[in-house]
Amino acid sequence: MSIFDTRPKFAVHVAQTDETFPCAGNESLLQGMVRLGRKGIPVGCVNGGCGVCKVRILDGNIRALGPISRAHVTAEEEAMGYTLACRVAPQTPVDLEVAGKLEKPFSKGRAESATASPIPQQQ
Amino acid sequence: MGVMRIGHASLRVMDMDAAIRHYENVLGLKTTMKDKAGNVYLKCWDEWDKFSLILTPSDQAGLNHVAYKVEKDADLDALQKSVEAWGVKTTMLTEGTLPSTGRMLQFNLPSGHEMRLYAMKEYVGTDVGTTNPDPWPDGLKGAGAHWLDHLLLMCEMNPEAGINTVADNTRFMTEALDFFLTEQVLVGPDGNMQAASWMSRTTTPHDIAFVGGPRSGLHHIAFFLDSWHDVLKAADVMAKNKVRIDVAPTRHGITRGETIYFFDPSGNRNETFAGLGYLAQRDRPVTTWTEDMLGSGIFYHTGDLVASFTEVYT
Repeated sequence: MSIFDTRPKFAVHVAQTDETFPCAGNESLLQGMVRLGRKGIPVGCVNGGCGVCKVRILDGNIRALGPISRAHVTAEEEAMGYTLACRVAPQTPVDLEVAGKLEKPFSKGRAESATASPIPQQQ
Repeated sequence: MGVMRIGHASLRVMDMDAAIRHYENVLGLKTTMKDKAGNVYLKCWDEWDKFSLILTPSDQAGLNHVAYKVEKDADLDALQKSVEAWGVKTTMLTEGTLPSTGRMLQFNLPSGHEMRLYAMKEYVGTDVGTTNPDPWPDGLKGAGAHWLDHLLLMCEMNPEAGINTVADNTRFMTEALDFFLTEQVLVGPDGNMQAASWMSRTTTPHDIAFVGGPRSGLHHIAFFLDSWHDVLKAADVMAKNKVRIDVAPTRHGITRGETIYFFDPSGNRNETFAGLGYLAQRDRPVTTWTEDMLGSGIFYHTGDLVASFTEVYT
């Protein structure tokens, strides 16, 4: 645990790469994901409008931080667990898969050359 | 005499209360009107017509339409002819379609964006009036933006499929609406593909800009500030209000503008910018930016292309 960030964290697991990152219950999944230090994670408007941080929640509870654009997540998709990582905070450990523009930075070729460790780092 | 300037932008927002707080407290606009459909109309202190921004409640972000003001009502008939002659269908919307606004000539740019032209909007005056005015009014909020200045539209461009709506829009604006080109970006192996353009009707470097992208959308709407110091102060205001800043204060090579990019609470990109750049004139030679120096054109100091800046839009 960093001395500059003592908040309790939930483990968030990314299905594609089997990575886990810690994320506090009062921050977005995207904020936690960015700390992975992985190159190319698209951080767009961070307000639910641009749609670049699409994920599908496979397991775990999340809390909505604000509205998400229907242009990027349809009602059917939302019912299937899709949402935007900038607009949800974890309330339990979360298992997710990345979707849309988030798939590329988490693709296999990228993962091998990325700086982030696949093993959860002590925070 | 045709188009004078940008008149208003109509934006979709997903949280109206948050949007109003943003445009009032961060940019410094004031709400002038609300309608029964829930649309909210706002203006900047230095503008004299009733509104320059319409916020529409929606389940997504983005631009509904952009409107430009023409000088005379008869200009609408003349421009309807020239737009139709160019091959673009038009509709004349009757007075009152938008509150406090006269009839509007409605059409879509080749990129698909809806544009409207109008000659009349209710006059309400600036916050300093017309008789012995102070240079600025008391009680300004946030950045205290002077006026809505321009917008940048992302335009579908797919060279392999032969689609370049940046070039189409540029030609349309020149030939049908009598705008003039101030700057452009030329790319491709032969350096002849127009991937971005800046166009004017006033004496400033741009009243509208077009940039190529995978799909058409809104890149940003921009509000004018006086000086570089006002840009710095605007960034302070954004930090205070926890606004998501996309690009911290810097300068564009293109247009020479001093700028900050940030997002409204629905993810629509805003810009506050200062500096009139240069005197834009019809006989001023067009400035061209090449593919290898595009980074400097966009952000002059670092010369780095910021991925989010070109890939993220609503």
